[in-house]
Amino acid sequence: MKRKFGIAGIGDLLATAILVAVSCVAIMPFLFMAGASLMPGSDVTAIPYRWIPDKPLWSNYYRALKGSDGSWIYLRNILNSFIVATTVATSSVLLASSVGYGLAKFKFKGRNIVFMGIMSTMMIPFEAVMIPLYLTAVKLGLQDTYAGLILPFLTSAFGVFLMRQYLLGFPEELLDAARIDGCSEPAIFRRIVFKNATPAVATLAILAFRGQWDNLLWPLLITHSERLKTIPSYIVRYTADLTADEGTLMAVAVIAALPVFVLFFSMSKYFLQGAGVYTGSKT
Amino acid sequence: MKLSISPPRSLETKRNRWGWAFVAPGVLFFSTFSLYPILSAIWTSFHNKKLLSLKPPKFIGFQNYAKVLESTDFWNSVRASATFCLGVFVPIFCLSLLFGVLIASRSKGRRFYQMALYSPAVLSSVVTASVWAIMFDPRGLANQFLNGLMGTPGIDHRWLADATMVQVSTMVVYVWKMVGYYCILFVTGIGKIPVSVIEASIIDGANAWQRLTRITMPLLRPTMALVSVMIFTNSLKTFSTQYLFSQRGAPSRPINVLTLNIYNTAIVEQNLGLASVMSLLLFAVLLLFAWAQVKAGGSGEDM
Amino acid sequence: MKKAIVSLVLLALTASLAVAQAPVVAAAKGKNVEIKLWTHDDANRGPLEKQFIAEFMAANPTVKITYSSYPSGKILETLTTAFAANQGPDIFNVASGSAIPFLDNGRVAPGNYKAVGVKNAAELEASYQPGSFEAVKREGDIYGMPLELTNMCLYVNKKMFAEAGLDAEKDYPRTWEDVMALSEKIVKRNGQIITRRGFDFRYDAYPNTFVPMVEQLGGQLVSKDGKTAILGDEAWLKVLQYVKDFGPAGKNLGSPTYTAARTEFDKNTGLVAMSFSGLYQEARMKASNPAFYNSKDWMVVPFPQWKNSKKSVPANYSGHYYMVNAQSAKLEQEVAWTLLNYMLDHGEQYLEKVAIVQPTQKLDQSAFYKSMPYSAVFSKDFAAAKIVYVGKGSSRLNTCLKEAFESVMLAGAEPKAALDKLRKDAQAVLDSED
Repeated sequence: MKRKFGIAGIGDLLATAILVAVSCVAIMPFLFMAGASLMPGSDVTAIPYRWIPDKPLWSNYYRALKGSDGSWIYLRNILNSFIVATTVATSSVLLASSVGYGLAKFKFKGRNIVFMGIMSTMMIPFEAVMIPLYLTAVKLGLQDTYAGLILPFLTSAFGVFLMRQYLLGFPEELLDAARIDGCSEPAIFRRIVFKNATPAVATLAILAFRGQWDNLLWPLLITHSERLKTIPSYIVRYTADLTADEGTLMAVAVIAALPVFVLFFSMSKYFLQGAGVYTGSKT
Repeated sequence: MKLSISPPRSLETKRNRWGWAFVAPGVLFFSTFSLYPILSAIWTSFHNKKLLSLKPPKFIGFQNYAKVLESTDFWNSVRASATFCLGVFVPIFCLSLLFGVLIASRSKGRRFYQMALYSPAVLSSVVTASVWAIMFDPRGLANQFLNGLMGTPGIDHRWLADATMVQVSTMVVYVWKMVGYYCILFVTGIGKIPVSVIEASIIDGANAWQRLTRITMPLLRPTMALVSVMIFTNSLKTFSTQYLFSQRGAPSRPINVLTLNIYNTAIVEQNLGLASVMSLLLFAVLLLFAWAQVKAGGSGEDM
Repeated sequence: MKKAIVSLVLLALTASLAVAQAPVVAAAKGKNVEIKLWTHDDANRGPLEKQFIAEFMAANPTVKITYSSYPSGKILETLTTAFAANQGPDIFNVASGSAIPFLDNGRVAPGNYKAVGVKNAAELEASYQPGSFEAVKREGDIYGMPLELTNMCLYVNKKMFAEAGLDAEKDYPRTWEDVMALSEKIVKRNGQIITRRGFDFRYDAYPNTFVPMVEQLGGQLVSKDGKTAILGDEAWLKVLQYVKDFGPAGKNLGSPTYTAARTEFDKNTGLVAMSFSGLYQEARMKASNPAFYNSKDWMVVPFPQWKNSKKSVPANYSGHYYMVNAQSAKLEQEVAWTLLNYMLDHGEQYLEKVAIVQPTQKLDQSAFYKSMPYSAVFSKDFAAAKIVYVGKGSSRLNTCLKEAFESVMLAGAEPKAALDKLRKDAQAVLDSED
């Protein structure tokens, strides 16, 4: 591979040193989390702090999953988070790529208005529309259902933007060739566009999954049953429970973070590429 | 390159109708879950609407607007948001650019650095806030780390207690979380600079520094514009760190950013009218940034 | 085999007993009634209430009750939004300070006295301790049933006193001046960082614990007629100054950003020697640290006074009320009240399993209550106590108080400036037209 920006000698060494140091700072809270999750609570705020627990206290994880009321509800909450996050990731990709394709490759009347309209919704802070959104969802009978957790996030303006940017660079020749072969428009979208948009699709899927994994306010408002609650509300509940100790709390946090990290490491290529799609690569 | 024979006009219009078919489900979705709520917020901003009231809301003209603009709480929130926004902008922009350039200059370990820097962004905000709140405990790691670094044992930097420090703390968490994300944008941006341009400059005898300042930086300008606007808009929407810190005993006033104020006005004070006004003002500012982004070529047609 | 039959019979017996215990709502016979009940999380209370509900449903087979619980910091938000969409639950639970908007907006149904088994509001009131319904009484009607009312006293760790060369039985604090002096003797620091606290405040309970400090000196949060905020400047200034002296910028004895004092207290790891809490803390302690609970290492003493208090004022009490949604159908309301009455009739079980105190006459006289350690200390304070301010804007006033105390304690504001701002903000809350 060709070096584009060689900074020779000492500079080279310095650059590496900086990057290693910064990487350590970035990762430090994770090491803290992992270590603290295996300690009794009093060790977590001990002075001086010892990073590695004397004797790993695995029972923290057992207690984290079992919960203070012994109901094991956290397992159900984790399952719910998975259901919601995967559904949203899937629908987000399907809808956003369809809309993005429509916006990128067709010159229909009102296209710019639709595009600008969708883009402007990207600027709405969620807290601002939370209550009107809730009232709408209730009118649609979505209260206390999986649909209620999922529907308002079916896709996102950002997703549309991402797909459109990516598909703008999609070779027109491929589409025209398919049309000459007699392919219908939906078939072109399914067989040619969608299949060849894997980087953008994967990036978007990951973003959507992460967004729902992180969602706290909405699930709290829209669901009432234990069987529908998701991970973040469990964490808030656990933090508020003053009898919980810091070690167990960190175990709860590690469990919540683990699936996203597995996803992150196994699909890091797309995580990193995603940014490229965003800055508008035309390749 | 398009096919040399362009299809007849009527065929083209017919085909373009398919555009609507692809877009329609999305339009329906955004109208229901984004457009309608924002229209509803506009309507509410002119009404005396209390969350729990059973009486129909009264039209009160611009009274809510006047009230918001007169309220010291609102201006405190404007201050808090602006401080936060600027306070994170400078470090995030500089650091992500620096790290981006450094990473792009490495031939080995790029992937590792990028992933390490990006990893905080993956963590959910609830978890982030709980972890940092424990580290910011007076007995926690933050004090020990800083005291170790500066050789000042036993100083309590009052991360969550002091009015200024609590703002710094929210910024630290945010910068920690977001630098990697923007850094990757820069790495990608640099990666897109055509190799031929670089090679030409090497032949012209430019050294590394000259290449950086005279070629990379100017060519990176679109990415810089994009990143700036993104930092501004995203940091104005910050909510969860401030919310969770104030729930854990940090003084709320210094970190009562607009989103937090909107949330409290609607839910605690139950005054939807006032909350809607603040929401719309924030929305307007964000739109302004978005417009700036388009102007800067961030999301224009030929990006 | 025989054993199996015996246990079967026993099972049937207990089952029939349970059915016999729970009341049958005649009007609901043969009609499908669905009742939603929302309350805040409590690891001990949840299972208990679910058991009562199961018994009630067994007695009323056509009634279906769903029980949901929310983090206590989140339930108000959830309730408020649900009510805004007219989707509130049939039965819900709110803190005394948050009841006002629900009452003011006609969201709460008045008591169904027949379902509760009394003739009228007066008879219901008589079976409770005086003042129990103050927060939920409107024009002679009662709009809620107290789940618990809590007053706070001071928990003292005797062992930590001994370690500081003190004898808790003799040296326990009577006055705020004592609290400060004892804290200074007990506190340990690593530089500025406190590693052992003597006393620390309860920072989520401004109306319960800070306002009485002012009232002891003759100050008031809100005047009797509810029109003027912040009376008795001298009292306020003295309390604000005390808190400033106590905080990190003064003698550095405690601060809201350390772990809540009562949590550390229960752990008995030598981190906090004195903390405020209600009787319910005993159950938490028993659950999380039985060894400490059973030891003789802790005690509870009355709420401290000032050396020159103008009058003796214990901690103000606050609590939670179960309420019934006014928008629920008549039949649902009747079932709801019957259920509530049935659940809350188990005062002793709530006390034993959850250690929350219902202010009923019956419970106060019960042997079990009297057998709980230091329950007499709590009762004595309670008898002299009044409820926290529950009038107009109470939750917003709470925010104003929090800001004022934080500003002197943490942000270095002078008591005078903080008081002026507090007065302005609090008066604005009282003056606002909603």
